[in-house]
Amino acid sequence: MNELLEKLSQCIEAGKINKTSPFPPAMKGMDGADELTKQALDAGISPDDILTQAMIPGMSRIGEKFSAGKAFVPEMLIAAKAMTAAMKHLKPFFTSGQLQRKGVFVLGTVFGDLHDIGKNLVAMTIEGAGWEVIDLGVDVKTEKFLQTIEKYPNCVVGLSALLTTTMANMEIIVKEIKAKYPDKIILVGGAPLSKDFCEKIGADHYSPDPHGAVEYLNKIAV
Amino acid sequence: MQIEKFSFSYNDLNVKVKSLALAMGYSTINIPEQVHHEIEEVISDGKDLCMIEGGYRIIDNPKWIKDFYQLEVEHAQFDIHKIIFNQIKKATSIAVFACTAGPEIPAKSRKLINEGDHLQGYVFDVFGSIVVEAAMDLIQDELRLKMIDKGVNISNRYSPGYCGWMVSEQKKLFSLLPENFCGISLTDSCLMQPIKSVSGIIGIGTEIKFNQYTCNMCDMENCLYRNLHQQELDEKNN
Repeated sequence: MNELLEKLSQCIEAGKINKTSPFPPAMKGMDGADELTKQALDAGISPDDILTQAMIPGMSRIGEKFSAGKAFVPEMLIAAKAMTAAMKHLKPFFTSGQLQRKGVFVLGTVFGDLHDIGKNLVAMTIEGAGWEVIDLGVDVKTEKFLQTIEKYPNCVVGLSALLTTTMANMEIIVKEIKAKYPDKIILVGGAPLSKDFCEKIGADHYSPDPHGAVEYLNKIAV
Repeated sequence: MQIEKFSFSYNDLNVKVKSLALAMGYSTINIPEQVHHEIEEVISDGKDLCMIEGGYRIIDNPKWIKDFYQLEVEHAQFDIHKIIFNQIKKATSIAVFACTAGPEIPAKSRKLINEGDHLQGYVFDVFGSIVVEAAMDLIQDELRLKMIDKGVNISNRYSPGYCGWMVSEQKKLFSLLPENFCGISLTDSCLMQPIKSVSGIIGIGTEIKFNQYTCNMCDMENCLYRNLHQQELDEKNN
């Protein structure tokens, strides 16, 4: 792999945002994701190669470590920040259509529930995997999901809940979405959820961690 | 009503960098430098945001309905499920408790996240959880000492949302406490406000025991407290 892309990938995995960021200490004073992405573009490397050969693999590696219990939420958030720093250089290529996202993922914490850290982590990981994420925030009512699906008809939907009481609201949202859009794919997640609950409410996929959601999305994006 | 109320400042609590790191999943030896730095910063900034209040009410002669794993206290009947029922069924009194870290810590966390600083927002969120649990540890210890003087023991604390006890039973639980107890209210979905609050019951009686580690009884495998308690236990044993 190109040396620049390899370095960029490592910076994203390690959460090295830019030259001035002091962390991780082993990379102090070195260029970070911000500078390396610009250098890669200036060197004529295609935005698609930067995204698929450096950025996505970097996020993917930290996601795998997280799934395996070898990295924790802070490292995921740090890596996502480096990813964001790199991504800002690619934004114009997405806008012009030169670079394509894998799809649109509409995500929200279900109504009645205000927890958002897990949901944010999923949003950042999925965005880092090359998807456009429409984050509807917390306490999201069914109507808001339906309106957003209308705007992005090919989207995949993600629902998050942290309470046993709001898991019931998740079921309401799934049923109403499926009633109007029977083929709409819905992913669910949150600490009290399980695969059984996902099946019971008629959702399509449950993942206990963001990386599992990415793996599922990548399968259906093909 | 036998009600005890407490308020604490941060300095009353035993919160360390290690406590937050363990709750995030780290052991004390593998905390990344950036995370360590963030935790120190959050503790320094968060100290003054703590508005900790808590307390409990002791209710005597609870009724235990074995066939349904139910607990009846005054007008309220709780489906506490098998795990909790078996731990406290011999209790002759119940302490209903609630405690909050106050509204400022979650507000700060939300502000940081909205501004894009997800890491510090997350660390503030964990800080709030650790603060309220540490405060509740103090309250529980006060209760324990008081009960030892009376010749009785106390159990671990059990909360709706854990071990099969549904969160929806929060409403009945709070109906046993004075309105707006310690400034805590419930949303329609039984989420406590301020969000960094805890509530539940503690069993009291001569035949009641306190267990060092009860998390393995619960089915929430990804719970923050399970990780924290397991890591603490591992460190103690090593």
